[in-house]
Amino acid sequence: MKAIQVKQVGGPEAMEVVDLPVPQPKANEAVVKLAAAGVNFIDVYFREGRYKATLPLVLGQEGAGVVTAVGAEVKSVKVGDRVAWAGLLGSYAEYASVQAERLVPIPLGVSEHQAAAAMLQGMTAHYLSHDTYPLKQGETALVHAAAGGVGLLLVQMAHNIGARVIATVSTEEKAKLARGAGAHEVILYTQSEFEVETKRLTGGKGVDVVYDSVGKTTFEKGLNVLRPRGMMVLFGGSSGAVPPFDLIVLSQKGSLFVTRPSLHNYIATREELVERSSAVFDMIASGKLNLRIEHTYPLSEVQRAHRDLEGRKTTGKLLLIP
Amino acid sequence: MKAIRVQQPGGPEMMELAEVPVPLPRPTEAVVKVSVAGVNSADGYFRDGRFRTPMPFIPGQEGAGVVTAVGAHTKTVKVGDCVAWSGVLGSYAEFVVGPEEHLVPVPASISDEQAASSMVHGLTAHYLVNDAYKLKPGETALVHAAAGGVGLLLVQMARTIGARVIGTVSSEEKARLALEAGADEVIVFTRQDFETEVKRLTDGKGVEVVYDGVGRATFDKNLNVMRLRGMLVLYGMSSGAVLPVDPAKLSEKGSLYMARTTLAHFTATRAELLARTSAIFGMIAEGKLKLRIAKTYPLAEAAQAHRDMEARKIAGKLLLVP
Repeated sequence: MKAIQVKQVGGPEAMEVVDLPVPQPKANEAVVKLAAAGVNFIDVYFREGRYKATLPLVLGQEGAGVVTAVGAEVKSVKVGDRVAWAGLLGSYAEYASVQAERLVPIPLGVSEHQAAAAMLQGMTAHYLSHDTYPLKQGETALVHAAAGGVGLLLVQMAHNIGARVIATVSTEEKAKLARGAGAHEVILYTQSEFEVETKRLTGGKGVDVVYDSVGKTTFEKGLNVLRPRGMMVLFGGSSGAVPPFDLIVLSQKGSLFVTRPSLHNYIATREELVERSSAVFDMIASGKLNLRIEHTYPLSEVQRAHRDLEGRKTTGKLLLIP
Repeated sequence: MKAIRVQQPGGPEMMELAEVPVPLPRPTEAVVKVSVAGVNSADGYFRDGRFRTPMPFIPGQEGAGVVTAVGAHTKTVKVGDCVAWSGVLGSYAEFVVGPEEHLVPVPASISDEQAASSMVHGLTAHYLVNDAYKLKPGETALVHAAAGGVGLLLVQMARTIGARVIGTVSSEEKARLALEAGADEVIVFTRQDFETEVKRLTDGKGVEVVYDGVGRATFDKNLNVMRLRGMLVLYGMSSGAVLPVDPAKLSEKGSLYMARTTLAHFTATRAELLARTSAIFGMIAEGKLKLRIAKTYPLAEAAQAHRDMEARKIAGKLLLVP
């Protein structure tokens, strides 16, 4: 089968199209024939070596398709089931063998492409706004990279909850998308200082929560725009990892809370995983959550996909089609 | 009037008894004749220069007494009122002047000693279990320095809420005090590793929250004893400030939350301040919250009080009487 493998970490050129045997499922696994694999920024971190994994590595942590084989102990899925997963490596391929406990059913009303597009980023937006800092009606959230994969979903969910969303983006085109997703205010950080603007937009009070996937270039200023006892939710580092910081600034800037969540800790049990994915799929099926799947690439053009993602040319979700 | 004065930062010996003019109130201030002043670790940080303030200064931020003069626009208090306060610098003196909104009424049902003993430590314990991390029945809290000023009150409040309390202390004698206050388990950290013990006591799962006024000495291990998505509330630094923290650690150790809090942000409005003091004073008057007043010193012996506080051998509140 065709698969994308990294033998040595590096730039997009580190990804090679290879021919591998179709995997056989272990006793607790199921093999899925992929309809689509979702591309995520975390794939870049694994490709570059920022996140470590054993090499050679088949990239990709998100996929959807149909079960073609199950291991001896598998009870949660059967051959022919439409399933999706996130957080397990190996989805940039025609087939993947995945721990069955981590496969969730795709309901009617949601396509495999939609499922592949929504698992990782949708569940991320969901846990951020419903659990890490459960947003309440009337609260104000600052969302960075608001036209990105998670961003557009988070803006929609926050809007649906009734929160006021201040979004930051880099271009006019992205600003339009963020507004379309429900952002009440959009700051083009390439033209104005988001710190100054956010303070102005909140009458100097600050926001209740900052959802920050950008990291290095935004973290400190984000602390400055939080109201006292507000929360900084750092869930990514697209501009670079946030360096170690002195905790005393949290107390100086208003007894602030900080968390650096990871999706896997919010889908730790199968129960939580199914609950969260179902919630996201329901939102899609009912039209409450719009998925923007603008960019689909054949599996073999994965290098172009990564270049486009890293060049920040893309908005919404990128899919690879085997 | 007699007052303790610090001309230059340094050890306890830098506190001298001096004769200085009685302060006069500005338009929204009041002057209080101090009956009792409370001693707190923050007083030591101002005295030794860790917290900056212009020299010379009169230390002390907490006390109780009677209003003797009010400014032209002062509305909240009048001459003759029994009041208590925290956050008003200059309390180690016969008279102190402060903003009217910091002065809370002391009900007849509690004494000046009880009021002066409970402002800083009581309000701190109150905000910690109600607002920094709202402790729920059945949860488990780790309380460091469980026989300290805040510790003994935290243990009692956590028990009243119905949480399970694991305390850490430095000696057998302090263990006895923490157990008397209601701690379910107490670890004498000079004899046992608290990380190993807490893991054992929670079947490896960890605690929901750590309330820590210790800082540097406990930080790294604190990150290892919390359950998934648990919270570390750092409200003090008796062992020194925590070294800069890499946010990635929070994710690594289970998508943990962290806060570095100060009392001022939890008593920012008069309404909030009064809500907390009413709660604390009410609990004391009803016998539901026991204060341990360890020792009372004449104002002139403030230096000795600081020596005793910093030696950490005495458990309980230290008071100064002008």
